[in-house]
Amino acid sequence: MMTSPEQTIHIIDDDKAMRDSLSFLLHSAGKASRSYTSAKAFLDSGIDDLDGCIITDVRMPDMNGLELLAELKARGTRAPIIIMTGHGDIPLAVEALKAGAADFLEKPFDDQIILQAIQKAMTSAPDSESDTLKDGFVAELATLSPREKDVLLGVVNGKPNKVIARELGISPRTVEVYRAHVMSKTGAHSLSDLVRMSIAVGL
Amino acid sequence: MGNLENPLQLLPVRFGLSHRQRGWALFFLFAAFFIFGTIRAQLSNLAGGDHRYLFFFIPLIIAVCILSGWRFVLVTGLACLIYSELLSPPVWPPRHMTLPHWITVVVFVLTVFSIAIGGTLMQRTERAAILAADQAMDREKRLNAIISTIRDGIIIIDKNAIIQSFSEAAEGLFGYSAQEVIGKSLTVLMPEPMRSQHHNYMQHYFDTGEKRVIGKIRFVPGLRKDGTQFPIELTVGVLNSNGETYFIGFVRDLTEAEANRKRMQDMQAELIHISRLSMLGEMGSALAHELNQPLSAIANYMKGSARLLEAPEPDLSKIRDALTSAGDQALRAGDIIRHLREFVGKGEAALKPENLHQLIEDTGALALVGLSDNGVHLTYKLSPKTKTVMADKVQIQQVLLNLIRNAYESMRDSQKRDLVVSTNLQKSGEIVISVADTGPGLDPEIVNRLFQPFVSTKTESMGVGLSICRTIVEAHGGTIWFETAPEGGAIFKFTLRKPPEGIDDDQP
Ligand SMILES: Nc1ncnc2c1ncn2[C@@H]1O[C@H](COP(=O)(O)OP(=O)(O)O)[C@@H](O)[C@H]1O
Ligand SMILES: [Mg+2]
Repeated sequence: MMTSPEQTIHIIDDDKAMRDSLSFLLHSAGKASRSYTSAKAFLDSGIDDLDGCIITDVRMPDMNGLELLAELKARGTRAPIIIMTGHGDIPLAVEALKAGAADFLEKPFDDQIILQAIQKAMTSAPDSESDTLKDGFVAELATLSPREKDVLLGVVNGKPNKVIARELGISPRTVEVYRAHVMSKTGAHSLSDLVRMSIAVGL
Repeated sequence: MGNLENPLQLLPVRFGLSHRQRGWALFFLFAAFFIFGTIRAQLSNLAGGDHRYLFFFIPLIIAVCILSGWRFVLVTGLACLIYSELLSPPVWPPRHMTLPHWITVVVFVLTVFSIAIGGTLMQRTERAAILAADQAMDREKRLNAIISTIRDGIIIIDKNAIIQSFSEAAEGLFGYSAQEVIGKSLTVLMPEPMRSQHHNYMQHYFDTGEKRVIGKIRFVPGLRKDGTQFPIELTVGVLNSNGETYFIGFVRDLTEAEANRKRMQDMQAELIHISRLSMLGEMGSALAHELNQPLSAIANYMKGSARLLEAPEPDLSKIRDALTSAGDQALRAGDIIRHLREFVGKGEAALKPENLHQLIEDTGALALVGLSDNGVHLTYKLSPKTKTVMADKVQIQQVLLNLIRNAYESMRDSQKRDLVVSTNLQKSGEIVISVADTGPGLDPEIVNRLFQPFVSTKTESMGVGLSICRTIVEAHGGTIWFETAPEGGAIFKFTLRKPPEGIDDDQP
C-alpha cells in the first residue's frame, strides 16, 4: 500500500503554466514528475513499461486526452490514468471513466484532492474496486426515489444538467438538488466517485 | 341608356313615379286640357273670337314638357291649336283669318317647337346627371363593400381632424361605433401625449408641407373606448377631393395581427441578439475555460508553496519562484478579461445619423406591447435641437426599451404613474436622453451594482437589462447614469453624440 518515491508521475498538458505548477505542487509533496507538452510527445518518449501514474488534460490539440487514453489501453498500459477537465467537460469525463480512466478531476483542484487521487489510483488495481463499497452502493441505490434514479442515470450517461432537466421537464437547479441528494445518499464523495461506482455496478 | 329616345319611360325614374302615378298624371293633363279649353271657349263667347287666347295653352304645354317629351309637346300643341281655332268663331274657313291672326298662330307654333326642343335638351342633361349620380352611388357602394372587408381599420378625417368615415374594422379595433365618432375629432382615438400634439403636427404639415407621417409606416399607440391603449401600425395618405383635403389612415393592430406579432417578435429577437445577450452566454463558457488554466496554475503554486513552507528548512528560492509564477498567472487571467472587454466593447455598432425623435416615439409605442398595466402616462419632451443623433438605431431602441420597461415596471404600485422621455442638448454638444418615472426609486441595496449583470430585485427577471444598456451606450461613446427625482422616482440618463457638423442636420 505504499507509493515508492521513485514512481514517476507523468503530466501531459499543452498549457505550460499548468504543467509547471502541477509539477511544483507534486514536488512540494515529495513526488517526482515528468512533463510532456502533448500526447504525442508522451507516446514518443519511448516508455514501454510505464510505472507510476499518468495525469492528462482532456482538451489538447492534435490528440486529446480521450484518444490518448484509448491508445494507452490498446497498448495494454497498466499505469493508472487520471484525466483533468476544464469547466463544462463533465460528459467527456464520464466517457473517460467508462473507457477505463482511474479518475477525473475538475480544474482548478485542491492539492489534497489530486494527491489523494494519485494515491488511490496507484495503490488499487483498476478492477478491484472494493467489494464492500460496491455492495453498499447497490444497497443505497435501492433507496433512491425514481426521480433521483432518473437524474443519476442522466449524469452517468454523461448528459449535462441542462439536458437532463429538459428531458425530465424540471429546472436545471432542481437537477442539481437531486444530484446532491444522490451523492449524499450513496455516500459518494465526488461526482467522480459517483460515476465510477455507477459504472462499477453496471448502471 | 338605350331608352333615351323614349322619355316617357324615364318618367318614373325622374320623378319617382310608379306606373299608376303616371296614369294619374296623364289623366290630370287631359283634365287640365279640357278646363283650359272650356275657359278659353267661354272667354271667346264673352269677348269675341280673339285669336290671342291661343296663348292661354302655353302653361299647359310647358307642364307637358316637364312631365314628358317633345312628342307629347307637339301633339298637345297641335291639339290646342285645333281646339282653339275650331271653338272660336268665325275662324273657319281660314280665308276669314286676318293677318294678325295668322301671325298669332305662327308664333304659337314656333313657341311650341322651342318648348319641345329646349325641354328635350334640358331633360337630356338632367338624365346624364342622374345616371352619373347613379354610377357614383354604385361606386361608393362597391368601395364601401371593399372597405368593410379590409382587415385594417380605415379612418378618413378632414383637414380639421374631424372624422368623416370610420370603417367596420376600425370599429372593432377601437370599440367605438361609426356613429359615435363620426363628426368628432380624431384625437379621441389617441392617448396623451399625441392627443395634445396632434394639432401641431397637422398645422406643421399645412404650414411647411413636410410629411412626417404621410406615406410612412409609423408605430403609435391607439386609445380604445374602454381607455386601454394598444400599439398600432399607422399609414396615412392624403386625399384631395373637390378642393378639400382629407387624410386617410390605415390602422393595423399590432397586438392582434398575428403576422405583425411575429414580425414584432422577430424584431425583439433581433434586438436581444444585437444586445449580445446570447454572446454573453457563448462567451461565458469560453471565458470559464480560458480562466480555468491560470486559476488552476495559481492554486497549484500556492498550495505547493504552503506545503514547502511546512518543512523545517524551506527552500525559499523555490517558493519565491513559485510565487512569481503565480503572480504571472494572475496577470494572465487579467489579460484574458481585458481582451474580452475589448471584444465586447469594440462595438460593431454601425453609427449613422438617425432621427432621434422618431426613434424615441416608435420605441415608446413598441414598449407598450405585452404590458397590461395602462394607467401609465407616457409623455415626450423632445428638444428641437436634438433631431439627429449618431446611433445604431436598433441598439439604441434596445436601450430605450429597457429603460422604459423598467420605468413601467417600477410604477406598478404607484399612485402617480407618469413616464417622461425627454431630450436635451448639452453645452458640450452631447445629447442627453432621459427616462423619468414616478415610481419608488431605486432600491438602496443594489444602487452600487445597478449596471452589473444579474443584479435584479425582480423574481422573474434576469437583471441584465441595465448592463446591456451600459455596454451599448459605451460602445456609442456615451455614458449612462441615474438620478433621483425630487418626488422620489428614478431618472435614467444617457448621452449620445450629434452628427459631425454639416451632416444631415435636418434629416426628415
Ligand atoms: N426605473 C426604475 N425604478 C426603480 N428601480 C429600477 C428602475 N430601473 C431599474 N431598477 C432596478 O434595477 C434593477 C436592474 O434592472 P435591469 O438591469 O433592467 O434588470 P431587470 O429589469 O431584469 O431586473 C431592477 O431589478 C430594479 O430593481
Ligand atoms: Mg430591466
